Amino acid sequence: MSQPKVIIVSSDDEKFPVELKVAEKSILIKNMVNDLNPDGLEEDFELPTPNVKSTVLAKVLEWCEHHKDSIFPDDDEEDAKKSAPVDEWDKNFLQVDQEMLYEIILAANYLNIRPLLDSGCKIVAEMIRGKSPEELRRTFNIVNDFSPEEEAAIRRENEWAEDR
Amino acid sequence: MSASCPTGSDLNSTWLFVQPGLEFILGSHGDQGVNSKMYMNCYTAIYNYCVNKSRHPTPGGGSLSGLGSSGGSDKSGSQAYSSTNSYSLAGAEIYRKLDDYLIQYISSLKKEDQESFLEFYVKKWTRFTIGAGYMNNVFDYMNRYWVQKERSDGRRDVFDVNTLSLLKWKTHLFNANAKKLIEEVLEQITKQRNNEIVDTSLISSAIKSLVFLGIDVQDLKKPNLVVYIKHFENIFLEKTAEYYTKESNQFLEQHNVVDYMKKCEVRLGEEVSRSNNYLEDHTKKYLLETLNKVLIEDHAQIMYNQFLDLLEQYQIGHIQRMYKLLSRIPSTLEPLAKCLEYHIKEVAVKEIEEIKRAAEVEPVGEASSATGTPTPAAPGAAPAGSLLRRKPNPGVNPKTYIHTLLQVYFKFNEVVTSAFNRDPLFIKALDNACRHFINKNSVATPTPKSPCRTPDLLARYSDAFLKATSKESDISDMSTDNLMIIFKFIEDKDSFEEHYRRLLAKRLINSNTKSDELEESIIQRLQEENSLEYTSKMTKMFQDMKASEDLKNNVKEELDQSSTTAGVKDFTPLILAHSMWPFKFSEDYDLKLAPELSQPFQKLEEIYHRKHNGRQLQWLWNHGKSEIKANLSRKGKPPFLFTVSNVQLMILLAFNKKSTYTFKELSELVGVAKHTLESHLLPFTKYKLLDQSPTGSPEVLGLPDTTFTIVEEYKSKKLKVNFVSSIKTEVKQEEEETKKEIDETRRNYLSACIVRIMKARKTIHHNTLVNEVATQALSRFRAKIIDIKKVIDYLIEREYLKRVDNDTYEYVA
Repeated sequence: MSQPKVIIVSSDDEKFPVELKVAEKSILIKNMVNDLNPDGLEEDFELPTPNVKSTVLAKVLEWCEHHKDSIFPDDDEEDAKKSAPVDEWDKNFLQVDQEMLYEIILAANYLNIRPLLDSGCKIVAEMIRGKSPEELRRTFNIVNDFSPEEEAAIRRENEWAEDR
Repeated sequence: MSASCPTGSDLNSTWLFVQPGLEFILGSHGDQGVNSKMYMNCYTAIYNYCVNKSRHPTPGGGSLSGLGSSGGSDKSGSQAYSSTNSYSLAGAEIYRKLDDYLIQYISSLKKEDQESFLEFYVKKWTRFTIGAGYMNNVFDYMNRYWVQKERSDGRRDVFDVNTLSLLKWKTHLFNANAKKLIEEVLEQITKQRNNEIVDTSLISSAIKSLVFLGIDVQDLKKPNLVVYIKHFENIFLEKTAEYYTKESNQFLEQHNVVDYMKKCEVRLGEEVSRSNNYLEDHTKKYLLETLNKVLIEDHAQIMYNQFLDLLEQYQIGHIQRMYKLLSRIPSTLEPLAKCLEYHIKEVAVKEIEEIKRAAEVEPVGEASSATGTPTPAAPGAAPAGSLLRRKPNPGVNPKTYIHTLLQVYFKFNEVVTSAFNRDPLFIKALDNACRHFINKNSVATPTPKSPCRTPDLLARYSDAFLKATSKESDISDMSTDNLMIIFKFIEDKDSFEEHYRRLLAKRLINSNTKSDELEESIIQRLQEENSLEYTSKMTKMFQDMKASEDLKNNVKEELDQSSTTAGVKDFTPLILAHSMWPFKFSEDYDLKLAPELSQPFQKLEEIYHRKHNGRQLQWLWNHGKSEIKANLSRKGKPPFLFTVSNVQLMILLAFNKKSTYTFKELSELVGVAKHTLESHLLPFTKYKLLDQSPTGSPEVLGLPDTTFTIVEEYKSKKLKVNFVSSIKTEVKQEEEETKKEIDETRRNYLSACIVRIMKARKTIHHNTLVNEVATQALSRFRAKIIDIKKVIDYLIEREYLKRVDNDTYEYVA
């Protein structure tokens, strides 16, 4: 007898049946499944995720599937978690275009998948590290809306932080 | 679907969308249930509101109503977009909305007419807490960012949604109705105590709600029992005390103590299971304290009053019950133990009084032989009574006496074991009582001042079962274990040692020990119980016996090699170390050895001095005896076998040479003091071995010219005749000797003690010294203060100590 599944429905109405333990990587889903099935999951359970579209949801669930047996430390050890390098698998997994990366980060935040959110943010941080403002503007497609005077003033204020 | 889910940052449209969901979640319109779509939509709406609002804050919106975040630096998870130069977490406004909604919802809850307040409260509470749990998850996004940030910024009036819900419940429903609620809960508990059937789940849920409402706003993770204790526990304990005070008083008016104790057991069991069922662990301790007080401590006196009756009836089960109840409050046990101690003493007094009275009405002969001194039956038809020593204090048989003591001990030891679970307090009571009645009773101390006779009687008791001559049937129930039990309680252990050693000495020199192993095992146990020093003399005595045996063999070997062993078939010389053995050299017994015996005697002295040069040998002729064959029988009959003392032996040997001597001649031949000779002669004339002329004793016997002639033919029905046992010896004198020796040993012990202490301390206060000496002496005897003082004075006289100030001593090296 197969275990009852959690069927996650994307905003564009695509259904993703997954194992409970895969779905439970999302604390949001985990809490809801528990709340609405206080005696345990007895049959397939369908739930909508109105903020996640199918392409993103597929990626997120791929991550959940891969990590279904991983054990993540509790939130308590913030510092340890902050300094830990990004998991190798996650690094490869998040080798996607920027648009998709942001979507995954947003979905992880929405679904409350902390380890995925952390990995995503660390990748973004890697992208920022060591780049000049001009490079960053290029990387993130940002228009420079400072006037030359403003820019000079900011530079002066932050002189102490310049890397010499 | 997404059409129904607001995606913007407008508060009102978001709230309008969320509120109907919350009503489902809290079950305001009955329980239609919540489905996943509704749940997710609410979550998404709140998520969208918070995210969008944070990206595009309305001017000033972040700090609306004082609930805004402070913005600025930020923790993980918030993404800064450079398109806005300020970013703040949103949540304050929707939090306010929720707050208002909860108040309005809780205030709308109304009790229905047919239900009790308790029923209403528990029903609504149960539903509300489930809803609060859901809401907490639905508002998870707000909890995760806005609430967490506010709290980590130090705000203590912002809570996660679950806590917020409970706090609103407490403020808007619980506080105003707490009294009513608790009253109804207590009413239910009282009903249950009255054995009415109640719905315990109501009680349990209501009480649990008090625990959940104990929220520490400073630290939400640390639950506390403030609400539970303040609103419930205190008054619950009060009511409990009230209930059981009333019940126990009423019950005792109509029932006896035993029934009451059973009732207590039942009640205590019920209350424990009640507290396990629905009270917090915290209460258990106080509940038991309350119950112990009103059920047990308040009625302890009644139980004490019943205790003696139960003891007298030997109702072990009920005594045990009483002990178990009282032991819940340790302080109530002390009087019970005192009662027990008192009772044991009473019983002992009665029992001892009884055997004393019985001993006094018994015939003299029996009473006298019962004293246990070795007095073998007098020979022939001699009138026994006149020869037996009579004591001024008619004696109680040592066995009867010791077994009476033991019987009391055993009886109450059993009580202490089976009813009091060998509680140290009661073992102590038993020990105290035993120590008291064993050392002080009408037999042991007929007058308050007289030294305790128990050590003496115990020594005789031991002698009785250690002697080879005792009948097996008489001693089968006597044992070393019994001896040791009484020994433990004896205060004058030195006195026991002295008496025991005297009897042991007699057993040894008379070869009257039943078993060397048994003897040695007793020495061993006394040593374990007291000290090596305590048994050192006795141990030395055994060594002397062995050394003497070796010596004898040496002498015999040398004699065999040399010439004849004139007339002496066998002999047993005993060399006994002076001061170890309880024997003293007596001038009265300065015996002249008959020439027939001189050869082995001289050989012995020669060998002994060869081995131990410089040692002095003194012969204790008053001890030891001889067996001689006397050819005084009718023709054709075997010779007689006489058992005689050493003095008597010399007398009889003289008659080998001629048949008549005057007293004067005998005296010169034998050499001992006049009265000694007289007392040793007397049995011969009395039993007609010697004819005295002129007749008439005792005055005539000792006249120089009185003659003694040996009979030609001795007439006796028995072939073995003992002339020793009828020699008058001075038992009284021996008793005094024992006492003198004990006193002297004590003095020596005390002076040694004092000198030892003074050497270590140099100067010491009088009271301290006396106390320390008394404590040190305790393993031997109970030292009297006056004796200690005397010894101190003696030591001052001898200049070991000197007095400084009025009450301090100094050691003089």
